[in-house]
Amino acid sequence: MSRRNAAIFAAVLLAIAAGAMALAGANPLAGFAALLRGALGGERQLSETLVQTTALLFPSLAVAFAFRAGLFNIGAEGQLIVGGLFAGLAGAALVAPGWIAIPVILLAGAAGGAIWGGIAGALRARFGGNEVIATLMLNIVAALLANYLVVGPFHAPAATGPETAELPVSSWLPVLIPGTRLTISLLLALALAGALSFMFARTVFGYALQAAGEAPQAAARAGIDLRRTALVALTLSGAIAGFGGATLVAGVLHRFNVALSPGYGFIAIAVALVGGLDPLWIVLAAFAFGILQSGSLTMQALAHVPKDVVGFVEGLAILGLSARRIANPREESA
Amino acid sequence: MAELLDFFQLALVKATPLIFAALAGVICERSGILNIALEGGLTVGAFTGAAVSFETGNPLLGLIAGMLAGALLCGLLGVAATRFGVDQIVAGIGLNMLAAGATAFAVVVLFGAPGATPEVHALGSAGETALIAVAVVAALALQLGFDRTPWGLRLRACGENPQAVLSAGLDPRRIRVLATLAGGAIAGLGGVFLSLGELDLYSDGMTAGRGFIALAAVIFGRWTPLGAAGAALAFGALSALQFVLQRSGVPSELMQALPYLAALAALTGIVGKARAPAADGVSL
Amino acid sequence: MVETAGAALEAIGIVKRFGTLVAVDGVDLELARGEIHALCGENGAGKSTLARILAGALAPSAGRVASDGPVGLVHQHFELVDRLRVWENVVLGREPRRGLRLDAAAARERVRSLAREYALDVDPDAVVESLPVGIAQRVEILRELAREPSTLVLDEPTAVLAPREIDALFATLRSLAARGAAIMVITHKLQEVISHANRVTVMRGGRVVLRAATAETSLDAIARAMVGGDVPALATRRAVTPHAAFAARDLRAGDGAHALRGASFEVRGGEIVGIAGVEGNGQSALCDAIAGVVPYAGEMTLDGEPLRGNPGARTAAGVRTIPQDRQREALVLPWSIARNVALGDHTRPPLRRGWSLDRQACDALATEIVRRFDVRAASIRTSVAALSGGNQQKVVVGRALAHEPRVVIAYQPTRGIDVGAASLVQSRLIEARNAGAAVLLVSFELDELLAVADRILVLYRGAIAGEFVREGFDRARIGALMAGAA
Repeated sequence: MSRRNAAIFAAVLLAIAAGAMALAGANPLAGFAALLRGALGGERQLSETLVQTTALLFPSLAVAFAFRAGLFNIGAEGQLIVGGLFAGLAGAALVAPGWIAIPVILLAGAAGGAIWGGIAGALRARFGGNEVIATLMLNIVAALLANYLVVGPFHAPAATGPETAELPVSSWLPVLIPGTRLTISLLLALALAGALSFMFARTVFGYALQAAGEAPQAAARAGIDLRRTALVALTLSGAIAGFGGATLVAGVLHRFNVALSPGYGFIAIAVALVGGLDPLWIVLAAFAFGILQSGSLTMQALAHVPKDVVGFVEGLAILGLSARRIANPREESA
Repeated sequence: MAELLDFFQLALVKATPLIFAALAGVICERSGILNIALEGGLTVGAFTGAAVSFETGNPLLGLIAGMLAGALLCGLLGVAATRFGVDQIVAGIGLNMLAAGATAFAVVVLFGAPGATPEVHALGSAGETALIAVAVVAALALQLGFDRTPWGLRLRACGENPQAVLSAGLDPRRIRVLATLAGGAIAGLGGVFLSLGELDLYSDGMTAGRGFIALAAVIFGRWTPLGAAGAALAFGALSALQFVLQRSGVPSELMQALPYLAALAALTGIVGKARAPAADGVSL
Repeated sequence: MVETAGAALEAIGIVKRFGTLVAVDGVDLELARGEIHALCGENGAGKSTLARILAGALAPSAGRVASDGPVGLVHQHFELVDRLRVWENVVLGREPRRGLRLDAAAARERVRSLAREYALDVDPDAVVESLPVGIAQRVEILRELAREPSTLVLDEPTAVLAPREIDALFATLRSLAARGAAIMVITHKLQEVISHANRVTVMRGGRVVLRAATAETSLDAIARAMVGGDVPALATRRAVTPHAAFAARDLRAGDGAHALRGASFEVRGGEIVGIAGVEGNGQSALCDAIAGVVPYAGEMTLDGEPLRGNPGARTAAGVRTIPQDRQREALVLPWSIARNVALGDHTRPPLRRGWSLDRQACDALATEIVRRFDVRAASIRTSVAALSGGNQQKVVVGRALAHEPRVVIAYQPTRGIDVGAASLVQSRLIEARNAGAAVLLVSFELDELLAVADRILVLYRGAIAGEFVREGFDRARIGALMAGAA
């Protein structure tokens, strides 16, 4: 998309959002003002926006990772949930000093996400099964699994909600700014974005991954194993999303709750596309969407605009961005 | 015996929206549009049906409006995929989010409180039964239409090789847009069944992933109307079984997950290899 | 409707622009009833674009087409629905109906009667994907004939046919013409033009550069008009002492009509072995098996050592391929030339250094290929998608020949590129042979093989049907074997 078209597109989205606000009987200007105030109006608001940015950044990088390899991972949501679940269960069970517990919890999350992504990868690699359908189904299975486990066997005795027991304070991610929920997970996410950017541009691994995504037949003839690529890429993509889920558990909620994600894994698709699948631009895109996420409640409270307008506009954004080619027409499914 | 009858009835009720959505999916996919937005079609159909019935007091008008809303949403996908060459999957996800956001937003704006509409005039049990019959008849009629009519031939050709359709002097874009409109209307009807047939209101999230189960049913049914409807019926029966087994200790989540697990199993090809239409999901 | 006596179709001042590219630049053309008219020209001369405009499948940017009836177009790549039956394909869009229903019986009968009428034998109930390519072409022709066209345009119809089938096709076309239709055949096989067409039009760069009655012109004149000068000379083949290099024993691959059914042969270092045959007789399976991209049975050796492993291992062993479809099988289109030249060698030094790709080494290689192969590109950072077909192919061939290959497998390396590029590719292959490489050249153009190969093997229905050494090349005999003569 050219810069001019991008500007037009953004303007159209803003206009539609303004129209929706007006429809809700609110003054659009007041709505936008409330949104921005809620997201950027002070240290507390800004830190909360950065919390949302971080939460979006991990699944967005996961989505971009798979997309760049030509694989449609639309299951970041499920991978994030399973990652969070693993992290929550490990964190609640583990009694150890933070320097042991935190890495273990985060790795447990990555492992959970990797398993969930890996299932789709294995289906694709072994049977040529369409990963779109697989990840779509796995999203729902993840939610059901999480629900079953935290309402049933792993329900925290004292808790009222569908959630696991709280992590020991020593297992919480260190906070960056005292008095806020912003933790070092932001730095981890930024480091990951940098690492992925380097990987795509410079490394042999990134080269092979993108060749498989852009020109699978040429890649196969160049000795790149497409099946292995599908398995590896979806597993690692899942691991990134699952790691993100773990940072939410260890950094924000301090336990696993079925409402861990308000759809971060789906919004991530929009973020990844807005960022042009480039990890560094995705950081900026995640910040923009973080503003929407964190400002929407203030907008609802102050300007009386239902916060759902954000989801609506995000959907429109994805629709508008779908004109970008992602993957090659895939092999048929079952 | 009476319990068995109850079970069948419940299975039919649970299956009906799935059948509608699965038929919608078959129509779209056989024309070459992989319609992930079935869930959105159900959502807007359910909401619009309830909202219009509330405003007019006439559930039949609600039904028509619900079908129109579904057609509009899915038709948007058809237009985007044929005129703007979009990626159908990404566009479908966008439409699902748009549908969820727009309906939740509209519930607040129109009815003042988030979450659900008030109770509205529904179709009643006669209407519910009629819609169940419509679903079954629609499956049969579509199968015949696919196999025996010129339009069926054109639709199937379009999903296999739109270029060939073009060189036969037909417009594959038009066929695909019409397919998404028709499919969307049927998905919308599935949504109407939820809000005005089975219940008498709309609540956020009431479609509960049925659009995705329908996608699974399409694969299981090997992209044929009767096959997909049959798979939807089986998934509906699973859903009914969940109520029967409520006290038996089988986790209800497991029962709910079965259709999705079945879809994953279908991806392994263990239910027999069937090929998706060659141009399924490939935008023009 | 134009009632010009004798003219079935008249095109005046046709122009077609795609963006800044002018594909067809002011063409006038008249096709007479009862004639077979040949349209010749190099790739990119605008022939196919013109054909689509004549058939109404594409709107011209300027000019107009007048025709006294429908214009049928038989595509080079058939536009059939593979999973539908023959009769479904033929009636698509003009289905006979009974009430709301499709009248299948009437449709079948329609196909049968058409098939009888034009002597194009085909089973109406066969599923198209199960048909051999020659029969599929009949289906495509039948579909067009069902519209009762006054003009029939065929785009490269003989590319997929054996010599004998070609004669049968022209016999059909002649009988169609005799009934008053105008026939236009796009071809680059000039021998066909001379033997079968009444008139010939040659295009170059979107314009008509020659119009003549075939009786009054010559093969040479047509060729010169197409190229716009003399055909460039090939590199000289030097005397090389051949040495054992590549051998295949009882090689089998693929399935169905296009399978390879047990081929044993060797290609010595310092020779070019041409594989002659009509497309679809096992050539793809042969090349893919050697490249290691499809499963196969049988044995292959390289300098006496077994050749096995995945495509990457074979590349590393010095087996280089120039695949059939350069845009999908050889290049990553959005990438730059510099990034593309590493594909296949990205796993090893000198292009790999540690975890990373050595960008300087890639750039140096790309620069070298661009220079040696005369790739016309703004820079090595240019995306290969922006290059012409000929220049893309030069990059592919350049990459394949860059690392002193021991075996080169080239599948139709000159297809779809202009004469200059084709001649350069052929010359570089000869030079690779001179340097000791074993070259296997698959081509559907017998003339190319006769010009370039040291030895020719004829592949028919997946098996080797005959072998000829350069001194004993016999065009007629090779052509007969290609068509299945014992």
